Amino acid sequence: MKINYILYGFGILLCLSGVGYLAVQYVKYLSELGRLISLLLTIGMFASLGKFFESVGW
Amino acid sequence: MTKRRDIYLYLTLLCFFAIIAIFVVDGYMGVYDTFRITAGERPQTVDPDYWLRPEATTYETWVAWGEKVFFNYEIANHRLTGYTAEVNASVWRSQEKVHDLLTQQVTIPALSNAQMEWSIDTVELVPGGVTQGQSVQYSIRVRRDNIERRIIIKINPGSFPVPPKPVIEPRPAQPG
Repeated sequence: MKINYILYGFGILLCLSGVGYLAVQYVKYLSELGRLISLLLTIGMFASLGKFFESVGW
Repeated sequence: MTKRRDIYLYLTLLCFFAIIAIFVVDGYMGVYDTFRITAGERPQTVDPDYWLRPEATTYETWVAWGEKVFFNYEIANHRLTGYTAEVNASVWRSQEKVHDLLTQQVTIPALSNAQMEWSIDTVELVPGGVTQGQSVQYSIRVRRDNIERRIIIKINPGSFPVPPKPVIEPRPAQPG
């Protein structure tokens, strides 16, 4: 069971690093509308992730 | 309970992939141009994001009279279709064209780059040289489709003048 959590954590870290890399590389090329939608989606992503962990019992 | 948990997970994944899609479609896709300028011995790079700044209408550099300025203009086609355009580079001064540097039709396949090169000789541009303490400005206009990039080149005097040696008059020979 512990290995599952380690894998979850590893997957989350990979996702965050991927999004971070894309943000650093390409956020300067995004249009204003693209930046706004990305920001809202990021908030939605973390909110959903938080609710997911809450429902899991963390 | 499990169903609601799954919905949160799916929402997270949906947001994540939507962000990736925006970065790819809005951030990566498009046509970008990069200048590599060597003025004298100073290499400089003007990245595509430089022109995205609201205050960046021109890029300025300087060169000493007698030296050359080399330009490398790279167009990166980050689209899934080919890109065709006419690239025109010319020298301007006081809103008047001095002469053309390059006129070239470029066809770039999808996800490829194209490069053009030209140079400016300051001696040919200002044959009489630049007066000490002053400078001459020329602008290089590079037009592609409806986009125009302006690079201002400030030509400074080549070298400072060597101060003349003071003339020492020989002392008159003293009698006796």
